[in-house]
Amino acid sequence: MSTADVAGSESGGRPVPTAATPDRSAGTPVGRRRPSVVLPAATVLDNFREGVVVTDPAGVIREFSEPALRLMPGLAVGRTLAGCGVNPLTVGEQTVGDRRVRCRRVELTVGGATSIAWYVEDVTDAVARSDALLAERGRARFLAMASQKLGNPLHEDRAARAAVRLAVPTLGEVAVVLLAPRRGRARWWRAAGGDADGPALVDGGVLDADDMPAAVEQALRGEEPSEADWLADQFADAGWLGDRDLTRVTVRVVALPGSASATGALLVARSTDLDEHDMDMLRGFAARAGAALDAAVLYRDQAEVAETLQNSLAPTEPPSVGGVQWGAAYRPAQSSLRIGGDFYGAHELPEGGALFYLGDVSGKGVDAAVFTGQIRQGLQALRRIESDPARLLTLLNDSVLETTRANGHGRFATMVLGRAHPAPGGGLSLTLASGGHLPPVVIRADGSVETVDLRGMLIGVVPDPRIAAVNVQLAAGETCLLFSDGVTEARGGVRGEQFGATRLVDALGGCQRMPAPALAERVEQVIGDWLGGRNHDDIAVFAVRAVSPGSPTRHLHAVPDRRLAS
Amino acid sequence: MTAVLDRTLDGAYPDYLRCLDDADETGAIDIAVALLDYGVPADRVLLDLVAPAQAQVGEWWARNEWSVAQEHAATHVSERVVAAVAATVRPRPSRERIVVACLDGEWHALPARLVAEVLRLDGWDVTFLGASVPSPHLVSYLHRHDPRAVLLACALPMRLPHAFRAIEACRRTDVPVLVGGRAFGADGRWARKLGVAWAADARAASAVLATPAFDVPHGASFLDDAEYAGLVAARVELIDLALDRLDLARYSPPQVDATVADLGYIVDSLTAAVYVDDATLFGEFVSWMRTVLASRKVPLQTVGSTFDVMAGRLRDFPRARAYLRGAAPRLAA
Repeated sequence: MSTADVAGSESGGRPVPTAATPDRSAGTPVGRRRPSVVLPAATVLDNFREGVVVTDPAGVIREFSEPALRLMPGLAVGRTLAGCGVNPLTVGEQTVGDRRVRCRRVELTVGGATSIAWYVEDVTDAVARSDALLAERGRARFLAMASQKLGNPLHEDRAARAAVRLAVPTLGEVAVVLLAPRRGRARWWRAAGGDADGPALVDGGVLDADDMPAAVEQALRGEEPSEADWLADQFADAGWLGDRDLTRVTVRVVALPGSASATGALLVARSTDLDEHDMDMLRGFAARAGAALDAAVLYRDQAEVAETLQNSLAPTEPPSVGGVQWGAAYRPAQSSLRIGGDFYGAHELPEGGALFYLGDVSGKGVDAAVFTGQIRQGLQALRRIESDPARLLTLLNDSVLETTRANGHGRFATMVLGRAHPAPGGGLSLTLASGGHLPPVVIRADGSVETVDLRGMLIGVVPDPRIAAVNVQLAAGETCLLFSDGVTEARGGVRGEQFGATRLVDALGGCQRMPAPALAERVEQVIGDWLGGRNHDDIAVFAVRAVSPGSPTRHLHAVPDRRLAS
Repeated sequence: MTAVLDRTLDGAYPDYLRCLDDADETGAIDIAVALLDYGVPADRVLLDLVAPAQAQVGEWWARNEWSVAQEHAATHVSERVVAAVAATVRPRPSRERIVVACLDGEWHALPARLVAEVLRLDGWDVTFLGASVPSPHLVSYLHRHDPRAVLLACALPMRLPHAFRAIEACRRTDVPVLVGGRAFGADGRWARKLGVAWAADARAASAVLATPAFDVPHGASFLDDAEYAGLVAARVELIDLALDRLDLARYSPPQVDATVADLGYIVDSLTAAVYVDDATLFGEFVSWMRTVLASRKVPLQTVGSTFDVMAGRLRDFPRARAYLRGAAPRLAA
């Protein structure tokens, strides 16, 4: 095929662009496309995906290819682009007509004459594809972010608030989460108005189950109401859409799926329509929000049970008894629990004075805590028939032995059990009995610290164990301190050595003026510092201080125990 | 007590200090309650009587004029006074629930407790969880009770790395966090560094809590810091190196423990300074330590040579080394 043929036939019989009247104002008119003598250049160009427009330095078109003409139908040789009704080309992406194009500009100098070649590529489809991809990625990113944020709160209200806050503005300008009604009432949260200027405002309320919009009931049944069901009107009636123009708002509602039935419903309102992709994203978000709410409800139910059980097993505030000041500190090994294998307590005796105890059971965690509950209940019952500490411990031993044999779990306990009664000359007279527990220490009025000589055998191992007993006199201002092995065996220092009894005695020296609660706190603090963040066993401290019977105890328990606060 | 109780804060202050000195709980409470009866507002009793008296106690301890046992007994009395004031006033909560807690290892609960009570007087529904609250317990509490915000108190700058971990744990419950306490710097600069909202005092805290969205996490990109991680790993080795240089045979066992604890504080403060990338954290610690040690007749040149030993080991730790060198003159100052 000769060049002349190509030039003449102009591939495919399209109308040959004829040279229009030369544009006098813009350089030398060149006339028709210049035929190549070496290559069928026009053919090559016409089969490029890129369109080519060649102009002289002043912008007058010298030549163009067929794809360029398809993109810019008005092109004519001898005119400027403006003269052909085409916007000027710039390097980079731009819109030409209804197409998206990307342009390159190349300066060509051939035989002293300079031309400008514009390569114009139609990228409309590519852009659409990459827009779709970006949108898809954006949706995936949004859902991933939502999953992460929705997984954080384990509280129902907070999860619901997080869901509506996250939904705005990506899913809609208004988002409402309504939880399935309980006892005839449904709680809801709404977020509206969030944009770059600030986070969405969240409010909420309660709706009588009878007043729920029909579409919500439908969603709670697992159906997806269609937009035609006057959704906007229903939600405007519920007061959720504010003063939005109902003719220009699109509303959708989807169920928040739960493990059994729908946990609630999510509705979004926006001024643009939702396409199928948007609906998929809405449903994906609802699935995640539903799972988060479901988890929060589950957590609440379980936490309620755990709290009730913990409260029944946690140490109780000792009763106020004349002449006695109590102080206690307790740090369970598992810090998320408030209970453990150490226990302490006190009971007022009908004949005056009090019975008090501190002990430690074998094992750790919840099992151990349950066992301490059994022991405390045993003591509570047995003290009514026996108030002598040694005999009471023997009775307790038999009872524990019977239970552990029946259950076959081989648990045992150590404890110090004491009775305090006012001494005739002031102060307290203590009778202490020990079942294999660490001996208590006494802080004397002169600041010295004595260790009480008291041993004995474990409780719940053999029938009729040897129980040691001893009498200790406390003058007013003197304190007897019971503690568990979590104190002396706390590992700290540089290399994790045990705290030991010597350090405890040193830490208590000179503390004779401290009230009992401050003493107990001091031990807890010293051990805490020693541990320096290391793990530890249960730590319990119980201080019994002799005070003059007249000294007021009215403020003694004014500070609510922080463990009771939770 | 039969003495006539003073009607003004200034007049009552010396008597109140005397009660702390005597660990006289009843006397201290009588003074505070009398002031309330005379019409002194409860927040002033807390912030202008209890708080400065407690600061005074801390100073006496630092200057070795009071034993730690005396300080502890006085703190206990202050706690009871705060409780008595709260019980007398009994504000009715009209605002949302706020949780106040001291971070794990923080035993100085009184400042946080004062903040809690002032917030209560401001109408907030406050739960005070007390001293040294373990993070897992705090987090489960937040999950369970969904408060408006949690206030975390931290007094010791050397505990900032721990504090930040606790802050992050709280944020994961989606509950906004506000911090306070001397640990974050007198002007809150280390709170800013960690990207967490900070309040200078109880009244400022109440104002911050009233703003809609105060906890916007930001910054903290510096936290993946190899030098910090290296210091944490070298902690025991640094303490051992310093101990090797001391003639421990001359020390009593409690003195050995105290020395080990002090060396731990030095390393932890240095580590915290690197963590927030600020030499002044270590400098302020050294000035404070100098007061404490000097009043206890501990020769400061042993501390100086400890710094040299540590700086020698920390050849690959440019910032820690510079902080040690930079702080050495403060020992002499």
